[in-house]
Amino acid sequence: MFARVRWILLVTLLVLLTATLGVSAQTTPDENTLVIGQSVDVGSLEPSLVGSRAESNIFGHLYGTLYDIQSDGTLAPFLANSYTISEDGTEWTFTLNEGLTCHDGEALTAEDVVYTFQRAANPENAFTGNTVGFVFPSVGFVDARAESDLEVTIITDRAQSEPLRLGLLSEVYLHCKDYYESLTLEEAAENPVGSGPYRFVEWVRDDYVLIEKVDPEAPGFSRIVWRVIPEASTRVAELIAGNVDIVANVPPDQVAAVDASGVATVQAVQGTRRMYVGFQFSEAFADSPGWEAIQNTDVRVALQYAIDVPTICSTLLGTECTRASSMVNPPNDNPNLVPYPYDPALAEQLLDEAGYPRGENGVRFEMVLMGPRGRYLNDANVVQAIGQYLTDIGVQTTVEILDWSSDYLPRVREKNVGPMFFLGTGGSTWSALYDMADLSAPDAGTNYTNWQNAEWFELWDATAGATPEAERELINQMLEVFYNDPPWLLLYFQPDFYGVSNRIEWQARRDEQVIVTEAALRP
Amino acid sequence: MMLAYIIRRLLQSVVVIIGVTLLSFLTLHLAGDPTYLYVSERASEEEIIQARQRLGFDRPLPVQYFSYLGGVLTGNFGNSLRARQPAMELVLERLPATLELTIFAMAISTLVAIPIGIVAAINRGTPLDGGIMLFAMFGQSIPSFWLGIMLILAVGLGLRALPISGHVPFLEPLFSGNFQLAASNAPETLRYLIMPSITVGVFSLSRNARLVRSAMLEVLSQEYVTTARSKGLGERVVIVRHALRNALIPIVTMIGLEFGFLLSGVVVAETVFSWPGVGRLVFNAITQRDIPVVQASVILFSFLFVGLNLIIDIIYVQLDPRIRLR
Repeated sequence: MFARVRWILLVTLLVLLTATLGVSAQTTPDENTLVIGQSVDVGSLEPSLVGSRAESNIFGHLYGTLYDIQSDGTLAPFLANSYTISEDGTEWTFTLNEGLTCHDGEALTAEDVVYTFQRAANPENAFTGNTVGFVFPSVGFVDARAESDLEVTIITDRAQSEPLRLGLLSEVYLHCKDYYESLTLEEAAENPVGSGPYRFVEWVRDDYVLIEKVDPEAPGFSRIVWRVIPEASTRVAELIAGNVDIVANVPPDQVAAVDASGVATVQAVQGTRRMYVGFQFSEAFADSPGWEAIQNTDVRVALQYAIDVPTICSTLLGTECTRASSMVNPPNDNPNLVPYPYDPALAEQLLDEAGYPRGENGVRFEMVLMGPRGRYLNDANVVQAIGQYLTDIGVQTTVEILDWSSDYLPRVREKNVGPMFFLGTGGSTWSALYDMADLSAPDAGTNYTNWQNAEWFELWDATAGATPEAERELINQMLEVFYNDPPWLLLYFQPDFYGVSNRIEWQARRDEQVIVTEAALRP
Repeated sequence: MMLAYIIRRLLQSVVVIIGVTLLSFLTLHLAGDPTYLYVSERASEEEIIQARQRLGFDRPLPVQYFSYLGGVLTGNFGNSLRARQPAMELVLERLPATLELTIFAMAISTLVAIPIGIVAAINRGTPLDGGIMLFAMFGQSIPSFWLGIMLILAVGLGLRALPISGHVPFLEPLFSGNFQLAASNAPETLRYLIMPSITVGVFSLSRNARLVRSAMLEVLSQEYVTTARSKGLGERVVIVRHALRNALIPIVTMIGLEFGFLLSGVVVAETVFSWPGVGRLVFNAITQRDIPVVQASVILFSFLFVGLNLIIDIIYVQLDPRIRLR
């Protein structure tokens, strides 16, 4: 009996040994294949459901857009080559390039662009992605109309800043009518046919998406594999092992290991996501400790001096960073505004002058600071640090860390967070107004602080239809208002860390997009 | 007798499954309004209201629940709110990968635990026994997340002996009748399975080893074992034929429960090793509050768990004729 058991064990060991000598999976890099590791999978392959950065990374290769947002923030012609604007600014007519086709060979004309927009807007389709959930309300989309085979007009209900609208419309993925009309929504969600430089090949859910280049002569790798690797340590291990070429969100504590591997290096870029602490103005928080104090503009200005942002960046985020002077990403911000320096003595002096001296126990007033865990880079530790800086100047701060998706996000969306709360919101490289649209109206969904500065909103309304010069002047004025009556405690633009294999040449972008159409093997 | 017992147990199972769906439904809704996960962060209040109506989240909770339950009874588990695909289809698509992992982990935890538990028992008080128990304590103490990362660093990255992450399907082509692909994939599947399975199974392995040891020690002290020995039977015959069979009863009970434990434990391994299984699907669905997917998964897991325990109960009878079904 025991002899038999020994034989079984021996055979099992041999099988395991043989297995370890097998070939690797098909999703490994080679001279024609670029492999990218990202933390989440696409939820669907329906272009009108794209809502996350992980999805737009892939869709940005599969689908063309009217214009293209370049890595430096400029807007360049893509499937359209020019546009004109009606006198009242509500109708934009784009001229498409000649000879466009979708990946199934169907010609892409103005009628297809109209169909794309109308299909996305159709309430029966109940799409909830970026196009219908953000772009259309932001531009005031009404309808689209084909003027000819190559001319299409996008009709809106308002005049708007030119770069803002052009950038927003450049987020709509264009596709052909005949193919998508022939599919049910369920079929379309699994069988994308796009109009971009790469075509769809295969999607194994929660495993990988494989796409291949349409034009063999075009620059870039022939095949791109987007692997789903949720755990950051595993992504880094795959990068160092040479199984992946690019990974996003390298943890700061693993940057040194990647750089020392000799296989890959980390590119740290200042991202466009604005990280801040919001001051809650909603009277629903009137009974919360500290709420009354932060209604005072002088107190909010004083607190700006209490936080050592460069130290937070270097110690908790693993990189140097510049403190934000406004809610707008450079270089579109107001160049005359200087970031608040770290000066706790001045902060204390300003709080004294504002009528909040230290009490006998050293406390000026108490405060609750809320923050999420697991959403932003080292978020919980950053919030703890901010809480300590505030406590150091006599603002006795209680830090409450909440789970992002189940607790914090619903509170933020319901504007039920505060009196002070840590948050980051996505920004852009191509429009100051895009970044400022968080505060587009007193009741805007993203006005999480419920800030009601009348001057700001009057100036915002004045930007509609303004000339580019006048618009720039209005933006600068608004940012001064924001600086002097701050609804945010300004922090930093979140740095992003990309691990990049030494075998390729590729430059990370600031806007969190992983676009690899021009990535190439190192010579 | 047996048929009546099975029917009675199945009816009990229906009650259990309905209870589980109710609890999971309430838990998800108590965590906040899921509408916000399906609109842009810049959506206006009006758009949020429209989305809430469209998604059906504006209805009273009991109405939402009974509407869902009615769908389940007619085989309609609803569509995933994110993927726009039938929720159960998404779950079933990933089930083979999870079964591969769970079955392999269960095999490791059982096939290794039984011999080392026996060895520890028959060498009670020796350094060998102490070493095995130390290993068992270590296996029960280390967090599976940490173990997975360590395996990746040591075996995957250091030795380059096994793939760091990923999956090559075996059961999926097997279930779909593509036997040739399943056979050709088998060696690769095995390579990819080893580290995740150890990560999932090491806790169970350790616990089972301790259980086998204590069960064996108890049985070995019984009079019939002494009788067997005094009859002059060889030690191997005494252990395998007389002691082990009786010691297996509590172990079989544990294996039934083990399946549910392993199913819940695969979430960590599936995340660390990028294994495209149900555990990760459920975890993501919970964080995104994709309620139809969570509920489809819960129901499927409940069925699996209840069904397996029913099978275990039937196996009891085969193992021990003294047990009668009631």
